[in-house]
Amino acid sequence: MSPALVVLGVFGIFPIGYAFFVSLHRWRIKKETVVGFSHYAKALGDPVWLLCLALGFGLLLLARCCRRRSDTTTQRLASLALLGVSAVLALRGFVGMCQTGDLRLFNAFKVTVFYALGTIPCEIVGALLLAYLLFRIPRARGFFRILYFLPFITPMIATAVVFRTIFSPNPGSLANRFWTLFGAGDQRWLQESRTVPALLLQGLGLSNYPSWVDTAFPSLALVCVVLYNIWVYIGYDTVILLAGLSAIPRHYFEAAAIDGASQWQQFRHVTLPLISPTLFFITLVAVIGTFKAFNHIYIMRTAGAQDTVDVASVLIFDQIYQYHTAGYASALALILFVAILLLTVVQNRLLGRRVFYGD
Amino acid sequence: MPKNSRENLIQWLTYTGLTLAAIMATLPFIWMMLSSFMTRGETLRRVFFPKALQWANYVEAWSEEDFGLYFENSLWISFLVVGGTLLFSMMAAYPLARMEFRGREPIFVVILATLMVPETVTMVPNFLTVSWLNHVSPVPWLNNWPALTIPFMTSAFSIFLLRQFMRGIPGELYEAARIDGAGHLRFLFQIVLPLCRAPLLTVGMFTFIGSWNALGWPLLVTNTPTWRPIAVALQKFVSEAGPEVHLQMAGAVIATIPVLVLYGLVQKEFTEGISMSGLKG
Repeated sequence: MSPALVVLGVFGIFPIGYAFFVSLHRWRIKKETVVGFSHYAKALGDPVWLLCLALGFGLLLLARCCRRRSDTTTQRLASLALLGVSAVLALRGFVGMCQTGDLRLFNAFKVTVFYALGTIPCEIVGALLLAYLLFRIPRARGFFRILYFLPFITPMIATAVVFRTIFSPNPGSLANRFWTLFGAGDQRWLQESRTVPALLLQGLGLSNYPSWVDTAFPSLALVCVVLYNIWVYIGYDTVILLAGLSAIPRHYFEAAAIDGASQWQQFRHVTLPLISPTLFFITLVAVIGTFKAFNHIYIMRTAGAQDTVDVASVLIFDQIYQYHTAGYASALALILFVAILLLTVVQNRLLGRRVFYGD
Repeated sequence: MPKNSRENLIQWLTYTGLTLAAIMATLPFIWMMLSSFMTRGETLRRVFFPKALQWANYVEAWSEEDFGLYFENSLWISFLVVGGTLLFSMMAAYPLARMEFRGREPIFVVILATLMVPETVTMVPNFLTVSWLNHVSPVPWLNNWPALTIPFMTSAFSIFLLRQFMRGIPGELYEAARIDGAGHLRFLFQIVLPLCRAPLLTVGMFTFIGSWNALGWPLLVTNTPTWRPIAVALQKFVSEAGPEVHLQMAGAVIATIPVLVLYGLVQKEFTEGISMSGLKG
């Protein structure tokens, strides 16, 4: 097993430590000066606010523990108050970080979160529906499965190029043709940096909407990227879920049917618990995947979309490849890594408990 | 409503839904094929079918900015990466699945943990490592195949998948082989290897796709076309001053073909392997 360990060790594990070392330096092509943690301070803002945020979250956990144990009304009220305080503390810390930290980083995180929230639920619910339908049909299951799987196996660098033309502002693009079928005007799609609600409001002739509409929602360009991503991964999830469904012993359904369970009850109380490990697996893969996403977004980004589709990896790659600020880029990358780690832990705690592994 | 016709209706709705989804899944491919045969004028107008098939688009795309060279590079790179990954991952998965030794579990956990590390974290340090290797090794690494292939010659995912599968192989087989005088290595290559056909093909296919898609790292470690892969060519195609839509689509079709051919060959095993990865996760 040694060659694999050498490769993984040298190019997979050692770099994490090395990246930390690099992040403590001013580093352009060559090592220059030691700057300590100032890259982190530049990215995350005043450490006071980070501490504030961490404290808020710590208290939040504590408040949750207290709430569960409290029996009397006073105890309940106290834990509720604690909950409020911790929420305010966490929020204040977060706002402080946004004000003093690197705006581009927080924008990138915002985009990443939009991207993940837009992609993962749609992808999994859609795949669950498709897998369930596929499971019920007697014929042509294999045929449909191959078709659904095509987007996943086709290289994303090629399909991203295709979607770039589908969602191009060109009046001949597929998206615009489809859109104009409904009598609406041409859109700029991947070139559009304005948010979807802002576009709607402007389309209705309302131009004096509050300014947060411009920042609190994903841009149309990002929505296109999200649609693309759903298109790619839904087939993969479907295949995995279908395998999960097929592994459920038939007699469970028969028993439920004899007990008079309706289709929905069967789905809710038999199917869903039994495929929950599979669901958990694809959610985990999807979350890690969206936070690491890079290649297709790098291809689909346009000048017109400005920074509204630049997820964290794209921002970091720009720092390395365009600005040659390796030290700062490493600090950003490690922050992303820690974010992924925390998210995975939280996900394990929250969702992992609901997974039913049988006995 | 009588029960039978109600069931028929449900059946019909199910097929309609599935067909709609299938159209959504394949429409971009149809669009890609059709556009790749259009003239430049046709891509700008609202036409769906090209008047005549412009095969010349493919010739033009192929010769555009060394596209052919990039394509060939990608084939070589993917070939090396897949070969290396299969060999190394087998050799790592076997002891993790079969042999008893101290620290087996921690090693496995650490290997799995590397799945969570974003490529951007390892990019800078790996670039520094590769630059250093470029100086000290007899073969240059930068702008050459080692930098593009060796760091990817194994992956946590492939080790995980193979290990899961190997744990399912009955221990009696090994006992029998040992009585016949076979050691671990011989057992691995003569008995486990043929049994692992499906997971090996799955890992191979996955690795091929991953390697074919790589874009960030190759941009970093190459600056001449000599070893640049096809992803870089496509990215150049779509960047602001790149060729027109019909050529981009022809390029995308060309970039898709090898993967589709491979998929056609291993389709059955690949779907099996993927399904398995989810069941045991």
